[in-house]
Amino acid sequence: MSDHFSGPRALADPAADLTDLYAFPAPHNPQRLVVVMDVFGKAGPGAVFSDAVIYRFRFRRARIAATGPGAAFGVDPDEVGFDITFDVPGGDGTTLQRGRCRVPGGETVSFSTNDDRGGTGRGVRVFAGQRSEPFFLDVHTILESAETRKLAFKKVGSDTLYGTNVLSIVLELEWAELLGGGPIFAIVCETLRKGPRPVRIERLGRPEIKNVSMSFKTFDQVNRDLEIRDLYNSEDAFALLPDYVSAYRARLNANLSFWDSLDGKTDWPLDEGGNHPLTRLLLADFLVIDASKPFQETSYFEIERAMLADRPHASPGGRWLNEDVMDSIFTLYINGGNGPRINDGIDAPIAWSSNVFPYLAPPNPPKGQGS
Amino acid sequence: MTTTLHGKRSTSASGTNTAVVTHGTIALRNLEAQIEGLEPNSTPVLSRVEERVWLIDLLALRGSILSSIADYERALELAHLLVRDAPTEAAAFLARARTHAVFHRFRDALDDLDVAERLGADTESVDRERAAVFQGLGRYEEASAIREEDARRCPSFESLGALSTLCAELGDTERAERLHAESVRRYRGVSPLPLATLDFQLGVMWMHEGQLERARDHLGAACRYVPAYALAQGHFAEVEAELCHFDLAIALLIPLAATSDDPDYAAQLARICADAGYPDDARYWRERAAARYDELIAVHPEAFADHAAEFWLAAGSDPRKALPLARMNLEIRKTPRACSLLSRAIAADEAAGAWCVAQPQPSQSATSAANERNMQ
Repeated sequence: MSDHFSGPRALADPAADLTDLYAFPAPHNPQRLVVVMDVFGKAGPGAVFSDAVIYRFRFRRARIAATGPGAAFGVDPDEVGFDITFDVPGGDGTTLQRGRCRVPGGETVSFSTNDDRGGTGRGVRVFAGQRSEPFFLDVHTILESAETRKLAFKKVGSDTLYGTNVLSIVLELEWAELLGGGPIFAIVCETLRKGPRPVRIERLGRPEIKNVSMSFKTFDQVNRDLEIRDLYNSEDAFALLPDYVSAYRARLNANLSFWDSLDGKTDWPLDEGGNHPLTRLLLADFLVIDASKPFQETSYFEIERAMLADRPHASPGGRWLNEDVMDSIFTLYINGGNGPRINDGIDAPIAWSSNVFPYLAPPNPPKGQGS
Repeated sequence: MTTTLHGKRSTSASGTNTAVVTHGTIALRNLEAQIEGLEPNSTPVLSRVEERVWLIDLLALRGSILSSIADYERALELAHLLVRDAPTEAAAFLARARTHAVFHRFRDALDDLDVAERLGADTESVDRERAAVFQGLGRYEEASAIREEDARRCPSFESLGALSTLCAELGDTERAERLHAESVRRYRGVSPLPLATLDFQLGVMWMHEGQLERARDHLGAACRYVPAYALAQGHFAEVEAELCHFDLAIALLIPLAATSDDPDYAAQLARICADAGYPDDARYWRERAAARYDELIAVHPEAFADHAAEFWLAAGSDPRKALPLARMNLEIRKTPRACSLLSRAIAADEAAGAWCVAQPQPSQSATSAANERNMQ
């Protein structure tokens, strides 16, 4: 639930509130790519998808445009989108909904929510429904670290999301056929309000950009009072408006420097313009995956780290469901990989995801009902 | 002709909103799912202050949609616990201030807002909360100054909607409608709940103005946004009764009166049944409402003084019980409606007193029965 509560406006409808995006090669089929969009963090058992929202995955072919300190991706202007929509559930209190996924080329794949088999079409399989929250973190110690400006992680932390559920949409697709080449893709997910001109409500790419990386205002000397996240959410991930980029950059520079300072040494010296070396890559706020590489358990940001180190990447990148991505992020931000792996004290979710469709574990029973 | 309550697409009464919003059934179900997801974690160990505040606000929201006093009470209970657990958190005091205001504990609400400000809450947020309290208190000039400035500085769905609501309460109908339309135009969300709430407020405004068709349009719109919006359904039924559509009004009110822990629906039903010539039903609902008002006045006197007084003046037929409640209400809030209520209570009390002097002293229940006949 790395993106939950990521802005005041998103709170208005929980079914439009994106929490996480995952992307990984299908563990048993390298021809297939899997993307997962989670919404509605801490969903109660009655939670359902909104009938007024388009749940969208966007794919663009990407390439490594520069390596070293100026590492950057080049992203094609053309893209492939998958729109998932839902009906109103029946009136008998059921959470069962009919869903449709519009596939490029015009095919529509129909499915019922909470059906583990999902719906299938040519080169595509779709699941949607309530699942166990795969993300795990200790929010208390993160906030405490920001407040005290000292790493507050405990040896054994407390998983803020333990035993909670989310609404998940899982899309498995033949990437070469449906995405038109590759093998490197930039991926984002979005929620949009339906209508003649759909309005973006939220967008999500990398984990913990809007929260851990952007939400703290106290370190930002440029826009200390600005709640930046609604603005950020409304932007096109592939085409940020120039008007606000400097505000996002200032916030990221300040907050990344804060994280870097927590081990008492500077692993990410700022450039002459005051920019943190990671800011540019993180503002390219999409998951980047190399679909030609075989599945790996831990691969988040490996492509980007390889780019910074001017070496070839060895993993598919993206983000696998079971990866302890908070430890990966903290290690990246705090010591740049120049020290021991930072452990936030939470090493597992309540239930591991499996490596077969629909991957995420079934939902947890409501608390108080036992497991 | 009557307006159907359950249309398919959500459109405001003015027809200005063409936005697609989540079906009201889903919105309510997801509101409940949010509460179910957060409630087990509502302890300092498991949840952040932000989430506990959120749960309090969600409970209050559900309370306002379903007219659930139990939800309001739970929200207040959680707010007290939050302030106890996080006495240095401004957000905790802001949350408690909001729940105090729900129960018309305006003095407590203002005190909490002062504390929140001292603890570092930003002045604009605190002032927005203060405006709501001032509005409740009938301190309209202070409320208006804040709302106008907020809308001028940041004209958003929220600020314009809040100003529209204030104008509605002040009877500035033209401006309230204009601001409402402008507010809706700026709405970018998909939840129907804020839109339903705005239409409800305008519906109530037109009810007070005696413009029943317009009231029905807005209340009908609110119900189309959220079919289970009890407060809107109840007022819609009231309008139908005013238009002498008694059977429709009764049909709408019975499920609300039977299931809600808010006695207002039973009170309305008692009055309408009496007007429609169903005395046995009227008696049944009157007794039910009376018992519940007595319970609520014992625990939340400030919150229910006005509605209970209205009940005792109307279907309850006991002006002697109405008068102290109307006085209490005016002490709490110096609104025109509170003044009007007290005037009516005094008049009714005097009329009842004069009637009693002229009669041999009957038992109390006989007095009530006689008053009831007199009122009818």
